[in-house]
Amino acid sequence: MKQTIRMRKSRLSVIALLILLVAPSYAATPEFEIEIRNHLFLPDTLTIPAGVKVKLVIYNRDATPEEFESYELNREKVILGGRKAIVFIGPLAPGEYPFFGEFNPQTALGTILVVADANAAK
Amino acid sequence: MQIPVKAASITVALFLTALTFNTAVADGIVVSKIYDPYVQPLETEIEWRFVTQDSETVPDVQKHSLGIGRSLTDRWAVEFYAIATGQSGESLSIDAYELEAQWQLTEQGEYAIDWGLLFELEREIDANAWEFAATLLAARDFGRTTVTANLGLIYEGGERIENEFESILRMQMRYRMKETLEPSVEVHVGQDTTAIGPTIGGLMRVSNGRKLRWDVGLFAGITERSPDHILKANIEFEF
Repeated sequence: MKQTIRMRKSRLSVIALLILLVAPSYAATPEFEIEIRNHLFLPDTLTIPAGVKVKLVIYNRDATPEEFESYELNREKVILGGRKAIVFIGPLAPGEYPFFGEFNPQTALGTILVVADANAAK
Repeated sequence: MQIPVKAASITVALFLTALTFNTAVADGIVVSKIYDPYVQPLETEIEWRFVTQDSETVPDVQKHSLGIGRSLTDRWAVEFYAIATGQSGESLSIDAYELEAQWQLTEQGEYAIDWGLLFELEREIDANAWEFAATLLAARDFGRTTVTANLGLIYEGGERIENEFESILRMQMRYRMKETLEPSVEVHVGQDTTAIGPTIGGLMRVSNGRKLRWDVGLFAGITERSPDHILKANIEFEF
């Protein structure tokens, strides 16, 4: 009987822990915007702070879809024409993280520049 | 479209609660593809999967699955498979069909763990059996390493098989070395199978918006009842 109760408590603890892992973080997530226009990313270099999670809001102003893709950031996200998409990145170490538009890789190119100085991020 | 966090939490909690009931672990061929919890809109894929395993009781079993899939929204994707299973040397014919639907629950990187759900309905023609599975998909990055887990609850029933609930667990630890070549280690646990082994995979870009993903894995059974050796291969063409 005691063992059964202990097992149930243990299972409930695991479930509670997993629920906590999907619970939202209430710390403010810095937000940055990127536009896709004429198959270009604007700005093509975005500076963000190191060590924090960042929310990118990507507006696709073109009529055709584009895919924000970066192996270095481990992200790929298709953005339909005339729509926006959210991409969360980080926390990242300082450095340069290239990204590109998979449907127009010759023109849609950009870089996330991660800097230690939070004031330099814009 | 943002899925309410509360709904995602409740779904995950209900799923895990269901798994706390007594279930058998899945039988048959346990080693399979490990799913990440993400869906891309406008994506179509053609996929071929192959698994072969060798054990003392059932030597040289092979399973081929040919699938075609399409995302319906930025959160939902469906795929249909024709499946052929048989022993080496036999002529193979389609003996099962499967319909699967994948649901992305959270945005990648938004929370500590990314979550999704996979629903599968399989019709085994020869065995006159049905199988339904709901699988929780989870992934998390640790620097350049990505850990992915698939925890499944399965119900199967039919004329020639016992009606029962089963469960499976598949886990992968993948090192994102470079896009074209990523090594990983996988563990697959189900009824009569606990297997571990290395896999390698990668991605080749065919043209704008067209990709070929592949992976190959070789596993060793680590319990007495497990198959001795298992080989799997997957190829996916996305466009």
